[in-house]
Amino acid sequence: MSKTKHYSIERKQARWGFLFTVPCLLFFAIFSFYPIINAFFTSLTNRDVLKKSWKFIGFENYAYLFFPDKYGTNGGFTLWNSLRASLTFTMGTFIPMVVISLILAVLLSQLRSTRQKGFFQISYYMPAVLSSVVAASIWMILFDPRGLVNQLSNWMMHTEGRDFQWLTDNTMLQVSTMIVYFWKYIGYFVILFITGLASIPPTIYEAAIVDGSTRWHTFWKITLPLLKPTIVLVSIMAMLQCLKTFSTQYMFVQNGAARQPIDVITMNIYFTGIRMRKIGRASAMSIVLFVIMLLLTYVQFALSKTDEVDY
Amino acid sequence: MKKKVFALLVSLLAVGSMAFAQGSQEAASKKEDNSPITIEFWTHEDANRQALEDRYIKEFQETHPNVTVNVTRQSAEKLIELVGTAFAAGQGPTMFNLSINDERPLIDNELVAPMDYAAAGYKDAKDVVDKYAAGSIDPVMKDGEVYGLPLELTQWAIFLNKKVFRDAGLDPEKDYPKTWEDMVEVSKKIVKRDGDVLTRRGYDFRYKYYLENNIPMVEQLGGALVSEDGKEAVVGKDAWIKFFQFMKDWGPNGQNLGSPTYTAARKLFNKDNGDIAMCSTGLYQEARILHDNPDFYNSGEWMVVPYPKFKDAVKYVPSNYYGHYYMVNASADERTRKAAWELIGYMLSHGDEYLDKVGLVQPSKALFESETFKKAPYSDVFQSQLEQGHIVYYGANSTAIQSALDTAVKSVMLQGVSPEDAYKQLKQTVQELIDEQ
Repeated sequence: MSKTKHYSIERKQARWGFLFTVPCLLFFAIFSFYPIINAFFTSLTNRDVLKKSWKFIGFENYAYLFFPDKYGTNGGFTLWNSLRASLTFTMGTFIPMVVISLILAVLLSQLRSTRQKGFFQISYYMPAVLSSVVAASIWMILFDPRGLVNQLSNWMMHTEGRDFQWLTDNTMLQVSTMIVYFWKYIGYFVILFITGLASIPPTIYEAAIVDGSTRWHTFWKITLPLLKPTIVLVSIMAMLQCLKTFSTQYMFVQNGAARQPIDVITMNIYFTGIRMRKIGRASAMSIVLFVIMLLLTYVQFALSKTDEVDY
Repeated sequence: MKKKVFALLVSLLAVGSMAFAQGSQEAASKKEDNSPITIEFWTHEDANRQALEDRYIKEFQETHPNVTVNVTRQSAEKLIELVGTAFAAGQGPTMFNLSINDERPLIDNELVAPMDYAAAGYKDAKDVVDKYAAGSIDPVMKDGEVYGLPLELTQWAIFLNKKVFRDAGLDPEKDYPKTWEDMVEVSKKIVKRDGDVLTRRGYDFRYKYYLENNIPMVEQLGGALVSEDGKEAVVGKDAWIKFFQFMKDWGPNGQNLGSPTYTAARKLFNKDNGDIAMCSTGLYQEARILHDNPDFYNSGEWMVVPYPKFKDAVKYVPSNYYGHYYMVNASADERTRKAAWELIGYMLSHGDEYLDKVGLVQPSKALFESETFKKAPYSDVFQSQLEQGHIVYYGANSTAIQSALDTAVKSVMLQGVSPEDAYKQLKQTVQELIDEQ
């Protein structure tokens, strides 16, 4: 007599659920986990991109990166300088980006006309679909000493013929890359916030209006707390994206800007691995970046950990 | 008798079978020879050269119907990355060209194949060396074998717009800069500004190409990038500091005569729009002027003058020349490699046309003695410079050294770093890179 196994509905569902996640797990295993493990392994070697043989050197690449005075400066472009450049860029871009995209999203969601709303959403989002290389090229022309940005700066500052050195001065150069990135991605985060705002039930607002709450009060006491999960999501995404920035800085350098002030980690990884061919050292840098991103994400989650929002 | 007849029949059958087998083998091998070959050819963009090479490839394919040539063209900058990463992944094109400083590591790491001399139309390595100008094959030689054939050997001189000179009250024939100090003075007269913003420049450097355009300035002053034994980096402190001071004075925080972030002088030159008077470029620029702006080319309003030297130069060093060499991937199979060398040989057998239509100088002795070379406008300036110059530095870390030079020059020009500090930093960095090689 054969025994028939009986599973609960929950268990059956879980089995199907697991089955559906298998392709996704496989995809991540091949395209994310394997490269990370491979990069870590490579970071423990002295691999040169073009050489067939290599040696296992333990943590020498990490020592080289963290102690430039003792081991060497990686052709003058140290990891410490890249960490400074990446963190400056991230802090200077992601905080204004989160704040302003939230403000814009709230303002857009106040619009009554669907047409107007659609128009502004598309307008803000448009730069996001533009290739980063094209965006950076356009801005290079705008930042040229004879370009529109310098002319506007002169007009705003009531000066004539002053070169604001958007691409030559260390600080201005960093600000320029922040502006390009901000312009390119603000629309993307505005859309995310609009989605978050739309998920707040209108009945809560109606109740607030009945209770005589002002718009300002409603924003601080209702919108902002209920939007917290979206804010956390957007800020983590924005921060990670800023830490991974590459093409803007790369295009600026290709067009004559100095590399040192904007030598973000990703660009240093590229130059070290591809141009200098030190793929072992570049892999060590990418592992450092990975760990930083992991830590910052954890910190952000920990800081924003509160009760789940229930409507 | 029967036995004899039988033996004869068996022998005849055996001979016949052997002959048949041999014939079949020959037929098979002939068939194999005609099996398809695909050559992946990667090269940099150049509209004039593209027209020419597309034609050569078509002609080659007509005589080699089993060969397919797939051409991929990219910007010169992009091509360096693509070829490097492709070889790193164990792939790469069948044949390609890059500047020698990007190609040499491929030779040293045995990723490219030695020449198939017969296929390319030569007897042996010596024959190749003999047919090219002295020293021009040296960068692609290793253990007595030649690994590449030069598509171009390029050296820069100063292209000058006579109209801009006259507009500034200068006589181009007399007042063209002979020294770097003249270059500053002439530029001061030509420059136009809107406040601090340059709207017209006299001359500007080709930032990014320090090994080609700026190292000779240091050498004129008695310095060098690397000592003769190859062990010491950034030799001759005084020469380097003087060079850095010159660049600092040239930049926006000095006399404001030029800057790396303005549109490249060479790109503006062909437009003849009055924005630039002089730029550094090679003989190929002539074909590009003709292509981009035939009126300007035919106007006779441009000329070429030699690369200047410092007043107190210890020797004259013109700009360093660089070579682009056609090479073949070592991982391609023998038949494909042979076909690739045949194609290279065929294309490069048109040296006259490359010079006439594209302005590229293939440094063969035959070309230098040809009427085409002698007739090319200002070819005498280039020939004289070639005789006095030397090839660009092409060590394994030359790309990283180029980056280090870029940082050093921009640090003095744009970031207020003193020439002394820039020198110290550069010496340390380049020394480290040379020690790593």
